[in-house]
Amino acid sequence: MRPETEAELAEMVAGLAQPVRIAGGGTRGVTGPDADLSVTGLRGITLYEPGALTLVARAGTSVADINATLDAEGQRLAFEPMDHRALMGTTGEPTIGGVVAANVSGPRRVQAGACRDFLLGVRYVDGLGQVIRNGGRVMKNVTGYDLVKLLAGSWGTLGVLTEVSLKVLPRSESSATLVWSGCDWSQSLKLFSEALASPFEVTGAARLPGGSQMKQTTSETVIRIEGFSDSVAYRVGKLAEMFNHQKPDRIVTDAAENEAIWKAVRDVEPFADTAGNVWKTSVKPTDMLRVVDQPGCTHLLDWGGGLIWTLAPEGVDLRAALAEVPGHSTLVRGNDVEIARFGRFQPEPLGLAALTQGLRQRFDPKGLFNPGLMG
Amino acid sequence: MQTTFSEEQLQDPAIRRSNDILRSCVHCGFCTATCPTYQVLGDELDSPRGRIYLIKDMLENNRVPDEKTVKHIDRCLSCLACMTTCPSGVHYMHLVDHAREYIDTNYKRPFMDRALRWILAQILPYPMRFRWALIGAKLGRPFRFLMPDARLRAMLDMAPKHIPPVSRNDDPQCFEPLGVRKKRVALMTGCAQKALNTDINDATIRLLTRLGCEVVVADGAGCCGALTHHMGKTRESHACAATNIRAWTREINSKGLDAIVINTSGCGTTVKDYGHMFRNDALAADAERVSAIAMDVSELLMQLDLPESDDRGMSVAYHAACSLQHGQKIKTYPKDLLKRAGFTVSEPADSHLCCGSAGTYNLLQPEISAQLRQRKVRTLEAKKPDVIAAGNIGCMMQIGSGTGTPVLHTVELLDWATGGPMPRALQQSRTANGGDVPVLK
Amino acid sequence: MEMPLPDPDVISRKHRITTRLQQVLPSDAIIYDQAETRAYECDALTAYRCPPMLVVLPSTTQEVSEVLRICHQEGVPVVPRGAGTSLAGGALPTADCVILGVARMNDVLEVDYDNRFIRVQTGRTNLSVTGAVEDNDFFYAPDPSSQLACAIAGNIAMNSGGAHCLKYGVTTNNLLGVTMAMMDGSVVEIGGAHLDAGGLDLLGVICGSEGQLGVVTEATLRILRKPEGARPVLMGFDDNEVAGQCVSDIIKSGILPVAIEFMDRLCIQACENFAKAGYPDCEALLIVEVEGSEAEIESQLSKIVEIAKRHNPVELRESQSAEESARIWLGRKSAFGAMGQMNDYMCLDGTIPVSSLPKVLRCIGEMSEEFGLPVGNVFHAGDGNMHPLILFDANKPGDLEKCEAFGAEILKLCVDVGGCLTGEHGVGIEKRDLMTHQYGAQDLEAQMAVKDVFDPNWLLNPAKVFPLDVSATRRIAAE
Repeated sequence: MRPETEAELAEMVAGLAQPVRIAGGGTRGVTGPDADLSVTGLRGITLYEPGALTLVARAGTSVADINATLDAEGQRLAFEPMDHRALMGTTGEPTIGGVVAANVSGPRRVQAGACRDFLLGVRYVDGLGQVIRNGGRVMKNVTGYDLVKLLAGSWGTLGVLTEVSLKVLPRSESSATLVWSGCDWSQSLKLFSEALASPFEVTGAARLPGGSQMKQTTSETVIRIEGFSDSVAYRVGKLAEMFNHQKPDRIVTDAAENEAIWKAVRDVEPFADTAGNVWKTSVKPTDMLRVVDQPGCTHLLDWGGGLIWTLAPEGVDLRAALAEVPGHSTLVRGNDVEIARFGRFQPEPLGLAALTQGLRQRFDPKGLFNPGLMG
Repeated sequence: MQTTFSEEQLQDPAIRRSNDILRSCVHCGFCTATCPTYQVLGDELDSPRGRIYLIKDMLENNRVPDEKTVKHIDRCLSCLACMTTCPSGVHYMHLVDHAREYIDTNYKRPFMDRALRWILAQILPYPMRFRWALIGAKLGRPFRFLMPDARLRAMLDMAPKHIPPVSRNDDPQCFEPLGVRKKRVALMTGCAQKALNTDINDATIRLLTRLGCEVVVADGAGCCGALTHHMGKTRESHACAATNIRAWTREINSKGLDAIVINTSGCGTTVKDYGHMFRNDALAADAERVSAIAMDVSELLMQLDLPESDDRGMSVAYHAACSLQHGQKIKTYPKDLLKRAGFTVSEPADSHLCCGSAGTYNLLQPEISAQLRQRKVRTLEAKKPDVIAAGNIGCMMQIGSGTGTPVLHTVELLDWATGGPMPRALQQSRTANGGDVPVLK
Repeated sequence: MEMPLPDPDVISRKHRITTRLQQVLPSDAIIYDQAETRAYECDALTAYRCPPMLVVLPSTTQEVSEVLRICHQEGVPVVPRGAGTSLAGGALPTADCVILGVARMNDVLEVDYDNRFIRVQTGRTNLSVTGAVEDNDFFYAPDPSSQLACAIAGNIAMNSGGAHCLKYGVTTNNLLGVTMAMMDGSVVEIGGAHLDAGGLDLLGVICGSEGQLGVVTEATLRILRKPEGARPVLMGFDDNEVAGQCVSDIIKSGILPVAIEFMDRLCIQACENFAKAGYPDCEALLIVEVEGSEAEIESQLSKIVEIAKRHNPVELRESQSAEESARIWLGRKSAFGAMGQMNDYMCLDGTIPVSSLPKVLRCIGEMSEEFGLPVGNVFHAGDGNMHPLILFDANKPGDLEKCEAFGAEILKLCVDVGGCLTGEHGVGIEKRDLMTHQYGAQDLEAQMAVKDVFDPNWLLNPAKVFPLDVSATRRIAAE
């Protein structure tokens, strides 16, 4: 099923008798037994006002189109959404609806905020085939309940997104990256904590793994600064001064090289074309040390240590190993057996699970959307 | 805010004034944030906004005050932090004064309460009676456990260890300036202060004459009326005030006065309000004139040439008395003067909060007062000062009773720095600490 | 403003409910005397008032939970109250309700600089959260004008913004986790010190739910390192529209100031009276603030000043000292109260697309003539969040009604140009009946479905957010 308009989509949903799997570009690896309901037919940017930092697009619009449009005005999606294709080994075109439905953010999330923080409004079709609007196109809006946040990251389980409005930001004039090779975990954590607690507006704090299976043999701890050229130069200088006790091995100022480093972090490139499960764990940064303790695993850190991508052998239950660590783990990549065994999403505590079930029941009473996903 | 006074009610000038004040309040709640009792009790009724509401309800309905309304209004310190915070310019002071007067007239307090208030009103404004009371309290202190009421115990506790002899400097007279006369000023010698601590007036006279002032202690001037005013006893307070207005007016009309200088900021706030208090009285013009030239000693000192000095290696934590910072809006002068005299000056966190002294408050509301003292002492001591300075005797007594750090009046330090003797509190601290005394470089 | 009829059955059980509450709370934490409950009859929106049946002032999550459990069992509506600074009547009681005030819950529970968060009880005031970390050069970013007094509980309920949210975002962007007592007395933990939700973003929907889904008793908040420096520049213009154009040009240039604030003549005068900030005497004033090192500030300000100069400002002045900056902001943040010196006012809060600023300002001016009520405008221009303040005389019969009608017209205009009814104050009681202008029946139905899940009996903060006729069937069914 691939409707061309919102009205058509609503009509289709109203007539559904069987569950469906809601699909955008199909790049994020969510599969299931149900038929696809594709939103890629709903495409196009419906409003773009650079002076108001606002963009509205239909859910099936490709991220590439949006990036190109913003780029022409010197702006960008500040939350730097990850492209899952390399990691998941998928093809297709990522859509903005998919980005929102999965609340996908990249390294800049640590400073600028997540996809949900830039989402100003949504239109979606609920489980009864009704078109619902929430939020709008203005940056400040507290009119009624914030279903915008609820829909972001709901993976289609509450409704099928048809249109999203986003706050966009000016693109930085330049960027620079401080690189340390071969730090141990504590050293990396210390660098992150100090950098993020500095007044120099670090927009990325990550660690790319090294090792025999990886492209590089030693790990690299990377810290990014962005902004106007003179300001970047000033802040890089201040950071280097601050890290006098542990000098960076190099400072990357070349634009293409910077982009490559942060794309590798954003898209978790080191784990592309590898065997094993990939887990994504969110904890408070100092708890990272309790996560990277797992034997046989390789880890990539982002968000100053708060986000840990783990490449683990099949059969390893990372979630069970982290039972005592507050936070959550998602099994992002794994074959059907592994997904069935561990579940894709972290089970919620009872009180919250009841709320989640209650909401799904209200938004999608017939249980049509992505059954089985998200608990 | 909307009000519902009838035309008839509005004929009363006091109601009319309160109506104007209530109308200017927008109920935004900013005042709650800086109200000391709200910080301690966390109940809107113990905040300015809650009290304004209680007062509004009481006055609008011409209601006999109930026990609870009285309780919450009694808990107000009159520190006036709310007036500093209020963006709408609500004159809370005049409103709460009106409410207190209304309560005093229309509410019959329980016997013990009435008795205590009567005693305080009969003693505090009269230095001689107060002195004898202090001596009595000192003698009675060993028997404090027999006292049935926390407030009575608080009174015994308040009496200082050292009760000074009467200072003849406080008698009506005129002190000639050293050198050329720059100003002629009347010093208000006060009431309770004269009995508790005679050093402050002595130091003020030395300092002002040294800086070129002829200092007059006017015949007939006495208590400013604040202590009874804050208890709602308008008849008594106006009588005191009228006596002062007449005494100073005589001076103004004979040899002239450049200023009436007050070194107890609680009194200063009231003297500056005489114009308002007597606005509908035959004394209105004189009262207005007195208020116009009334100044805190720090204001006067800013007009004189206090010698500048290098760093003296002594740290002073400055406690801003509410009556000075909120009542008179004098925030920087005392600090500026101390710095000019070579002291290193710091201010405690939450400097806007009251120390809990507030006139007779520490005697009438000992529990809340003690909590506020504890907070204040903690924040002052956190600055690790050599001495604590304040511009109000009430605060000095209150803070002094909770800390081992010497507590001085700002003018005592300034007098010392410009050639006066070492303040007594420092000398005592030397004795207590076995000779380890701050040196004035 | 229409309110549902109080439940006589609940009121008849007042004594028994009071007795039950006394078993779980200290005696000074329950207020039942009518002389005292009156002080809780409204928040900072005084046009609508109703004394509650009872007021409770718990000190712990446990006490909050017990109170809610009892109220749930007794079928008593509960109105949560932070500091009572809502301009939308978010804490307006009903005659049969218990006001649950969190003012006594103001402790700091945990400060963690390595992970950059603070955990507080939600009765703590916004500014004192920053106060708890500023000695270490950190701050809590959302800064509503009432930040001196407003509580974090209310900030979360209304998803409060502030002048500096152009850069730092609003409450929802700085809230990491909450401890929340549900209406049935159960306590849930949502989020924590980590980022993003593992499942549905429940935190996202709780923030801004106006106290209708649960009572948030503890909050984990993101704290940030203070910038090296910040400096505002004042720009005066002879024309509102030109000032609006200047804002748009600054944003388009790629510079992102931390704040762009706008005031018109009436507000400038009121604020200058209070703060003595040296605001120029002109039609429109912009306060534009940038942050960074001295050199960064200089470079950004020079770009901004260059843009401003193209619009022929009558005044262009950079703050020269920290004291001056503080005064400039004190004036702006006291704008509402300062306007109170002129008359009673009603403060609106609609947001519009920045590009519509000139048009909307012109229309408001025309409507002001039509209704015969003066309007002062003060707003966050960078994000289009307007605060028209309509002046009226509360003691003059008919004036409030006229003011309400005028306000409604302005808000409808905001929606019609592509904006919304409220940008940061919340719907509360004030904008409740305008909700159908922004949202269709199905849109509201979807929002109410969330409440059904969290508070099936519709007891929490009744009669707010949703028009009474829209929520009628649910409220009646719940009884």
